[in-house]
Amino acid sequence: MVKSTYQPPPGALLPLSPGWTEHKAPTGHTYYYNAETKESTYQRPGPAPSPINPSMSSYLQHQTVPQVNLSDPAVANAFMAQYVQQQPHTHGQRGGFGPRGRGGFQPRPRPQPRDKPRTKVAIPGCDPWILVYTKYERRFAYNPDKKTSYWRIPEKLMPAILELDQARIRQKAEGKTGEASPEKETSATPAAAPQQPEPEAAQHDYDSSEYEEVEVTDDEDDVGGGLDQDGNPSKRQRTEDPANDGPAEFTEADIAAQLAAMGADYGDMEMGEGEGEGESWEEGDEGLPLSDEDARELFKDLLNDFNINPYSPWEKLVEEGKVFDDARYTVLHTTKARREVWEEWSRAKIQELKERRAKQEKKDPRIPYMALLQEKATPKLYWPEFRRKYKRDEPMKDPKLSDKDREKWYRDHINRLKLPQATLKADLKKLLESVPLSALNNQTVASHLPPQVAGDIRYISLDPKVRDPFIAAYVQGLGPQPEAGEVAEEDEAVKKAREERCKRERALQERERAVAEEKRRQEKKLQYERARLRDEERELERAMQVSKRGLHSQLVEGRAEPGS
Amino acid sequence: MPAIRPASKRKAPPDGFSDIEEDLLIFGNKMKDAQNTPTDNIPKHQAQWPIFQISHQRSRYVYELYYEKEAISRPLYEWLLKNGYADALLIAKWKKQGYEKLCCLRCIQTKETNFNSTCVCRVPRAQLKEDQDVQCVGCGCRGCASTD
Ligand SMILES: [Zn+2]
Ligand SMILES: [Zn+2]
Repeated sequence: MVKSTYQPPPGALLPLSPGWTEHKAPTGHTYYYNAETKESTYQRPGPAPSPINPSMSSYLQHQTVPQVNLSDPAVANAFMAQYVQQQPHTHGQRGGFGPRGRGGFQPRPRPQPRDKPRTKVAIPGCDPWILVYTKYERRFAYNPDKKTSYWRIPEKLMPAILELDQARIRQKAEGKTGEASPEKETSATPAAAPQQPEPEAAQHDYDSSEYEEVEVTDDEDDVGGGLDQDGNPSKRQRTEDPANDGPAEFTEADIAAQLAAMGADYGDMEMGEGEGEGESWEEGDEGLPLSDEDARELFKDLLNDFNINPYSPWEKLVEEGKVFDDARYTVLHTTKARREVWEEWSRAKIQELKERRAKQEKKDPRIPYMALLQEKATPKLYWPEFRRKYKRDEPMKDPKLSDKDREKWYRDHINRLKLPQATLKADLKKLLESVPLSALNNQTVASHLPPQVAGDIRYISLDPKVRDPFIAAYVQGLGPQPEAGEVAEEDEAVKKAREERCKRERALQERERAVAEEKRRQEKKLQYERARLRDEERELERAMQVSKRGLHSQLVEGRAEPGS
Repeated sequence: MPAIRPASKRKAPPDGFSDIEEDLLIFGNKMKDAQNTPTDNIPKHQAQWPIFQISHQRSRYVYELYYEKEAISRPLYEWLLKNGYADALLIAKWKKQGYEKLCCLRCIQTKETNFNSTCVCRVPRAQLKEDQDVQCVGCGCRGCASTD
């Protein structure tokens, strides 16, 4: 769904998320209320909470007209995203517009989904359960109250879903138009509620056999009340539509998380033929190789690997969206959990950097002195003048440096300032190249360069505005810190940390493999299921033909009787 | 919301500034964008909301770096305040019980309002009717009571 360019057709209202109902305020404003979470908003809560994004900005929620500069693509994306993502209130609804869910602009186009929920139907008699069909025609059962979902249909839902399927088969058998007789429909799906009404503007060939249609009615308050906000008594659902990626209830990340969370556990989609394990897989996560701790650590690895600046605000991570496509992003299932881990990580990381810097500066007194030179030295001052002027500065007093050295570096530095930029750049490059990968690698943070670099005169010759991007580019092109060479030097803790990381990653890989395999199996089954469906249809058709013929022959007989 | 001092008129920042320089620049650019956005099509009272919001976010950023994460030094923190990167008065409020999430200083001034009370966004969620939705006219805040 959520391409940043997706523009909802004007006037087309998106479906309300489950749990939300529409109300009119005394002032005439329409607002929406969620009885479950006790949240309310003027902004229509559309497709559901995404685990990716914190709740959409309260600022944007009230705007009916662009208040942003849409000529800026990033801003335009963010602006459009409010229509598409329609982030309702997942967490942190209130609390100023501070960090918790009041982040304002979130200019991030969502990553392209793979599979995603497309339509859903309430499961008759099993309120509040709904059956969700995905783009790839898989389906899963979803409980909006508990926010749990199962690829493998829980046994208690099976009879009702079987009935739904039979209704659909009957309906198909009665003609592809989908205009089944109302009695039949209601009897088959008494509680069915549409959650994905078609945008009015969309033109689709409903008669095409490519679309499987489920006629549903809307007569249920707890599920349906929040869903069919248009007040249309009945809507049509489409289970397949390659053209229009309209928004649906679940995001890709949700699906991914569900897939991941359920791991090898989902899979039985054979209707009515479940293995009858009933409750044993109730909460999904059991029996998985990834522990909670592993998930947290994997998320931290992710932050480390993407060189996330621990000083940056959380909103930046979300706005940039660099990490979303990494599988480790979804090992934690909620934004809240991710934010917590991020918080923990950033604190620890900052602490670590501080300590490392303090150690470095102690080790190498040249670093603060070079920094002073870079900042204050000027060809206008001779050494004695400079020394007098800054004699109170720490680096000028540091007993670990001799005055002779200080003077030499000062003169060198001033002389170097006269050199052409190209020479200075070449010198800096030479300096960087002289540093071994163990000290300077793609994990190096710009503000924490090794002393070999930060304490060298060549480091301070260039203006930081030129130098820093140059170094950043160089560092990015480097490989990772070599693992083998320094093992001996590493203390136990580091070694252990690395081993644990390997273990976590193996577990993640295993899980992904299981998920992929499950997906393949799923697709096979689906094909089988479809083939079976076609067979059943054919049989039904045949049966009906027979009964027509039977009726015909009865009529013939009846006509024949009076004559005999 | 004090204005950021131009780089030419201020003292060089203390150590640690380079750690946060980029993020401050991003805030600065956002602020510029917000200020340059034409406001012809929107209700007048809403025009300033993005500016309040970005200002709040930036203050919060500085506040968290100093008080919560202890990521920046006292000299740097003071330098940031002095140069307008964060609103010292607002931060002073955040340190007080009951004001931890305050959106802006205007919302706790009683004089400007009709009912001689603070802004509706200060009312705790629990005291609102279930389906009541609030948003403050002044800064666009949707609720900043500490208990929320
Ligand atoms: Zn407020
Ligand atoms: Zn207010």
